Amino acid sequence: MFRETGESIRRNPTLSVASVITAAVSLLIFGLTLIIQHGFDNLLSQWEGGVEMIVYVNSGAGEEQRLVIEDALGQQQGVTIEAWSYCDVACSLADADRLFAGDPLTRAQLTELNIPTQYKVVPLDATQVEILRGLRDRYLELPNVYSVQLAEEQLDLISKLQGFVSTYTTGLWIALMIAASLLIWNTIRTAMFARRREIEVMKLVGATDWFIRLPFMLEGLLQGVAGGAVASVAMWFINGRWTAGVETFPANSGMTSLVVVDGYEWRVGLIVVLFGALIGTIGSGTAASKFLDV
Amino acid sequence: MIRLENVTKRYSSDVVALDDVSFDVPKGEFVFLVGPSGSGKSTLLRLINRQERPEEGSVWIAGRNIVDMPSNGIPQLRRNIGNVFQDYKLLLNKTVFENIAFALEVIGKPQHVISQQVPAVIDLVGLSGKEDRFPHQLSGGEQQRVSIARAFVNRPLILVADEPTGNLDPGTGEGIMRLLDRINGTGTTVVMATHDRRIVDAMRRRVVQLDRGVIVRDQERGVYQ
Ligand SMILES: Nc1ncnc2c1ncn2[C@@H]1O[C@H](COP(=O)(O)OP(=O)(O)O)[C@@H](O)[C@H]1O
Ligand SMILES: [Mg+2]
Repeated sequence: MFRETGESIRRNPTLSVASVITAAVSLLIFGLTLIIQHGFDNLLSQWEGGVEMIVYVNSGAGEEQRLVIEDALGQQQGVTIEAWSYCDVACSLADADRLFAGDPLTRAQLTELNIPTQYKVVPLDATQVEILRGLRDRYLELPNVYSVQLAEEQLDLISKLQGFVSTYTTGLWIALMIAASLLIWNTIRTAMFARRREIEVMKLVGATDWFIRLPFMLEGLLQGVAGGAVASVAMWFINGRWTAGVETFPANSGMTSLVVVDGYEWRVGLIVVLFGALIGTIGSGTAASKFLDV
Repeated sequence: MIRLENVTKRYSSDVVALDDVSFDVPKGEFVFLVGPSGSGKSTLLRLINRQERPEEGSVWIAGRNIVDMPSNGIPQLRRNIGNVFQDYKLLLNKTVFENIAFALEVIGKPQHVISQQVPAVIDLVGLSGKEDRFPHQLSGGEQQRVSIARAFVNRPLILVADEPTGNLDPGTGEGIMRLLDRINGTGTTVVMATHDRRIVDAMRRRVVQLDRGVIVRDQERGVYQ
């Protein structure tokens, strides 16, 4: 059965190659979309849960010194602030892990002795930017406050970019994946047409439909998986180049966490191959069922 | 073995290929289906292995009505029915041996069964020594023998032949008939459509005559007429 699948691919190399390439390109874009989304998630991770303002506290500040800040936050609770929480040294180090994932040198300079801790603030109304700016100016005056950052200043561009990227790349990979399925469908249809006499004889002597269908489905599956494998390798390469590139960006570029180095890229590689198998099976399976009556 | 009850087969509202046909073929019988072109012979044969389904009536094969048989039962039905055609339907890129073995491979027979049954049937049809030839290296009569060997290798209960001598000269056709007669002698029921008068007259077997989809004659030890 494997031999016949191989023969069939050799008999029709142009269509098979076109199917594999299309599958590979669509799966590559699909994989990169997932990777980029994950990178953006890294970039935005410290702002999760509606946090719009972060008050950074000097690393040396003890519990009593922080009480001044907590007191100031508490006064606004229910007025402009919905909730706030303290992100201690361990929590801030974890944030830094993600934030400087693409910039190990900067990350290495942060230790539990010198890292600023954070108060993460969720406002009652995130759209009231003027109120938040007023709060920032007031909190900057407090002792031991290292800096205050607003999500609005950092996030606006990034989340727009993320929305843009995800919308268009998703449209692209869906369209290309449909194209890949159709190409595989067509390849299998052609292969079945080339072997219609064999299929006719098989049916007459009592071969089951599954027996007839299986080699063709295997051929489609193989094309999808080959596309997925090519896409995985390409993605791994591109991700590596990007990560290497990000290290050379200035630390304050805001891009240092737009990388995926936490092993997620391997998971995406696997997902991409599985998706390849899926489009291969769908394309060939529908063709094999439809054209069994040749 | 084969029983048709009030079978009507229409290809469209105005093409009635078989019209209320009933007949019965006991196990081990040899039956000729005769009649002019377009009288419904091929259609009747295709009803027997469920290549077609009738609009009305029932088709009983070995005690089962196959008209409403679910499609997953069809392969098993066809393993009990050998098919022989006027144009042989051999696979041109396979040798004699491979063509016959193919019929066993695709129904999942193990290799040791194949290497035992294929040479035996090649011997039966008189093609020993030619098992490695390709179809284009064989005469028409030899190709038809391969096709009969392929139909018979799985020892079917029924052999269905649609004008098996239609492309052959008379002498070669007689050889094919002797072979089908031998196969019938092993207990296999044979139904053969033909409009070859000489063959029917020489064999003196049961003759069922069709005309425009209706049985007009059914005669033991009959002639073509
Ligand atoms: N697949 C088909 N579609 C439509 N009409 C068909 C088909 N096969 C046969 N017919 C018609 O059915 C009638 C019987 O055909 P057939 O069974 O082939 O007769 P025979 O084998 O005796 O020549 C003819 O009128 C023929 O044109
Ligand atoms: Mg006919």
